[in-house]
Amino acid sequence: MGCRIDLLFFLSIAFLSSYVLADLIVTKVDRRIDLTSHIIRIISSVKVENDGDDPVSAFLVAFPDHHAKHLAFLSASQNEGKGKTKGPRASLPIEASKPEGTPPSLEFYSITLPKGIAKGETLTLDILAVFAHILKPFPEQVAQGDFQLVLFQDSAYYLSPYLVKSQTLTVKLPDARIESYTKLEKSKVQGSELKYGPYENQPPFSYTPIVVHYESRKPFAVAQKLVREIEISHWGNVQITEHYNLIHGGAHLKGEFSRLDYQVNPQAKGAGAFSRLVARLPPRVHSIYYRDEIGNISTSRVWSDSKKTEVEIEPRYPLFGGWKTFFTFGYSLPLKDYLFQSEGKRFLNISFGSPIEELLIEELIVKVVLPEGSRDMYVSVPYPMEQWQETKLSHLDIVGRPVVALRKTNAVPEHNQHFQVYYKFNSVSLLREPLMLILGFFFLFVACIVYTHTDLSISKSSPSYLAKLQWDEVGQYSLVDFRKSNLLVQTAVQQLENIINRRLMIYDKLEVSLRDLSRTGNIQACKTARKSADTLLKELSKELKPLLAFLQSSPQAARFFSKAEELVAKERELQEKLIAKHSIIVDCYEKKLSGREIENRIALHQQKITALRQEVDDLLEFIEGI
Amino acid sequence: MADHASFFLVHHLLWVTNNRTYASKYIPIIASVSEHQPPTWPSYFMDINVLAFLVPAGIIACFSPLSDASSFVVLYIVTSVYFSGVMVRLMLVLAPAACIMSGIALSEAFDVFARSIKFQLPGLSETSWSEAADSSGTHEMQSDIAKTDKAEDAAKERPLKKGKKKEKEKEKDLAEKPSLKSRIEKRLLVLPFEASLIALLLIILLGGFYVVHCVWAAAEAYSAPSIVLTSRSHDGLHVFDDFREAYAWLSHNTDVDDKVASWWDYGYQTTAMANRTVIVDNNTWNNTHIATVGTAMSSPEKAAWEIFNSLDVKYVLVVFGGLVGYPSDDINKFLWMVRIGGGVFPHIKEPDYLRDGQYRIDSQATPTMLNCLMYKLSYYRFVETDGKGFDRVRRTEIGKKYFKLSYFEEAFTSHHWMVRIYKLKPSRNRIKGKVKKSKSGARQNTCGSLGNPLQNI
Repeated sequence: MGCRIDLLFFLSIAFLSSYVLADLIVTKVDRRIDLTSHIIRIISSVKVENDGDDPVSAFLVAFPDHHAKHLAFLSASQNEGKGKTKGPRASLPIEASKPEGTPPSLEFYSITLPKGIAKGETLTLDILAVFAHILKPFPEQVAQGDFQLVLFQDSAYYLSPYLVKSQTLTVKLPDARIESYTKLEKSKVQGSELKYGPYENQPPFSYTPIVVHYESRKPFAVAQKLVREIEISHWGNVQITEHYNLIHGGAHLKGEFSRLDYQVNPQAKGAGAFSRLVARLPPRVHSIYYRDEIGNISTSRVWSDSKKTEVEIEPRYPLFGGWKTFFTFGYSLPLKDYLFQSEGKRFLNISFGSPIEELLIEELIVKVVLPEGSRDMYVSVPYPMEQWQETKLSHLDIVGRPVVALRKTNAVPEHNQHFQVYYKFNSVSLLREPLMLILGFFFLFVACIVYTHTDLSISKSSPSYLAKLQWDEVGQYSLVDFRKSNLLVQTAVQQLENIINRRLMIYDKLEVSLRDLSRTGNIQACKTARKSADTLLKELSKELKPLLAFLQSSPQAARFFSKAEELVAKERELQEKLIAKHSIIVDCYEKKLSGREIENRIALHQQKITALRQEVDDLLEFIEGI
Repeated sequence: MADHASFFLVHHLLWVTNNRTYASKYIPIIASVSEHQPPTWPSYFMDINVLAFLVPAGIIACFSPLSDASSFVVLYIVTSVYFSGVMVRLMLVLAPAACIMSGIALSEAFDVFARSIKFQLPGLSETSWSEAADSSGTHEMQSDIAKTDKAEDAAKERPLKKGKKKEKEKEKDLAEKPSLKSRIEKRLLVLPFEASLIALLLIILLGGFYVVHCVWAAAEAYSAPSIVLTSRSHDGLHVFDDFREAYAWLSHNTDVDDKVASWWDYGYQTTAMANRTVIVDNNTWNNTHIATVGTAMSSPEKAAWEIFNSLDVKYVLVVFGGLVGYPSDDINKFLWMVRIGGGVFPHIKEPDYLRDGQYRIDSQATPTMLNCLMYKLSYYRFVETDGKGFDRVRRTEIGKKYFKLSYFEEAFTSHHWMVRIYKLKPSRNRIKGKVKKSKSGARQNTCGSLGNPLQNI
């Protein structure tokens, strides 16, 4: 099919072959076509002579349109002599042109020669053309163990609007099998190279199609879409995030994928797949990460030395023909290596393409996110591409960050050139975000303070109002006084507790004396115990009175004074009951009544004593709690 | 004592729930979930560790005295222990109750030990005073000052004697004044100084070990993702990221509308990570659906293909651990597929898959087992890895080693073979074969049967 189109094409331009564009003559062309990778590079070294009378300032290169639509990159430079071939050479400006009367199936690019070619002069141009997607896998599907075969088509003659006096063509093939190639006169295979020519005196628009069908063992790494986001932070960081939609662009896998075959013999059975990509990053890169939508991908390695950092990226699974994957790759760079200032403007100077080697990118979108408050942006790019602006809302943004977006289709490694984004940014704006945070927290705390200090109550009987009144009352004392009186109350309570405890102990002793009485029958001992207990109790009662009076007078004790009072009252009642019980028992012993009789008589008392004791204990515990 | 009693209680519960009747007999899908299994003793010690011993102590503490609040806590712990004995999953219910109980127990213990130490520390006149007053209650009367002095002097030699005295007094008091019991008891719980100091240190140490255990359990057992497995060997950490590898492959290399059939354990994972429609997922409400997939997995290849085709399934995903020794794979879950499938489709019978009541995949396995889809998808070309087909989970050589798939083709196998995805071969060819056969039936018959229509193309 492709051959037939080429044939028609060839016929169609044959009619026009008599057309002569200008007075230029191409005296010698050496073309090298590099087919070792899926990105095809054609380097033509063209020697041009001006045969006419007038100086010529432009040189036309032609591509058939089925090639032109795959043309990704074109550059030309002037080769000024053998001594100067090395070192960087200024590339010449190129623009698409459409000279009148040329066949419609050809596309022309005009290389502007700055010095022009005067009459009779010669000039050597080096033209590099890079094509993407120009190789066609044939067959389109291969099994896991087979290598893919691809077709490449071009012309044996240099397609040019000028007369070509002498030309050669070298096709560099990968070190593998060549299935077939178009055999012409003067064509031969030398190792992995295919040579055509030299051919002499070909008229303009000479075209002889050649087809090379060969084995390509290198997988075709193609990013269907790559979004690179370059975010600048003036705090000293350039964060680059790259979202890859990767596909193996070669012949599709046919039938089963056997992991067994892939693992047992990766050379033969896994050759069509790629499982590693290498990204070359600047040396001072940090915070590298590699993940996809379901988390970190653990298969990556980083090597770094003083000149470069290399990251080896393995997708989650080996990519066979037609298989796709997605991942996000991110890293940070120090700002000072990439951001510069000139004439009151700042400019970012950073590389455009992907850091991954030999990657063809069908659609590359580069977004440069500038800090909020940047203005007067413009972009300086080395080659034409689509541009637009948008805004991105991120943390602590009010109006959003300005984003400069660039879009390029069919980006190849040759597009990895630096581009510049110029903008104005006031350094004071750098403090905007921290100030916003500080102010935010400041106002939050102020609001808290105001809230705690305002009384929004309407009713004057509300608890908050009463509490406030009480607070004011207390506030009349000085703080020292307040502390002192507090301490006094505390000691008073402790004393009260002490006294009650001691009294309770005396009751215990009374009980013990009663028990001794029941065991020994010694009434006299019991009576002495009673007497000493009475005197002790009296003393303690005396001590108790001033304490109670003090507690009553002190404002801090107000809330538990009632409890203290109750405690004292209950305790007194308990005392009375105990004394009564004691007297009854002693009486009974004197009258020598039986044990049961005694028990009957004191049963009522005993009950009350138990209850009272419990209450006193509870109250005492409460007081202790204070 | 109480420890022993509660041990017995839980053990009894375990025994009762092990003889589950309803769920295991009639709803295999409920019984098949590992979280629905009754817990084992090790799982109690793994999950609540020292709390298992502190809980009984806490129960005792709740009974002295028994208030409304403490009786609620006791009821709470009893019911939660019961439910956690029913299924492992309800260990979550036990956890807060056990924490509360152990908190009470520890608080009581600290209270007792700290008070014992405080009573016997010299220099704290107030406490020693009341102590002295207490102890002198059994003796003849003395003046207050003398008592205090004596208490301070005798502080060191007191502990043992006093303990005995206290006990005596306690007995008397118990007989005479029951209402004072609690207060006096509280005063009496005084342990020897050194013993309580050591006990305090031991409790703190125990708490420390518990924290260490909890951190370890939280890191290894609770937060370790079961989707990314790691193993440590002499040459460092090895990551088994096969699940995500396979799910990523599914999400990027299959059609958005393709349906994936797998055992229901992987349903939500496939939905979330691979973004593909699944036939059954972890919502086990639709038992019949799961039974259908279980039936397909336990059927021979052709029947399975028909079931999957009728469900519009494009890919079948199985998890296979035999190569690296990952034990929770589909072969180990397979009996549940048979049971659940058989529960709805009675032609699947569990005994067909068992040899003398034993589940095995070696050469002694039943033909039904060796011909079912699950076996074939798991072990397809497995023998070629080492020449013998040694399964590292079952620790045996597989029964049927060399076989071909005629209705399925391998679409993807992850790096460690843990996830294997198969594609259903299209039905188009099969129909062609059938049509051919029916049209020229007589001639075909003379030529002999066509055999497998799929292999016929």
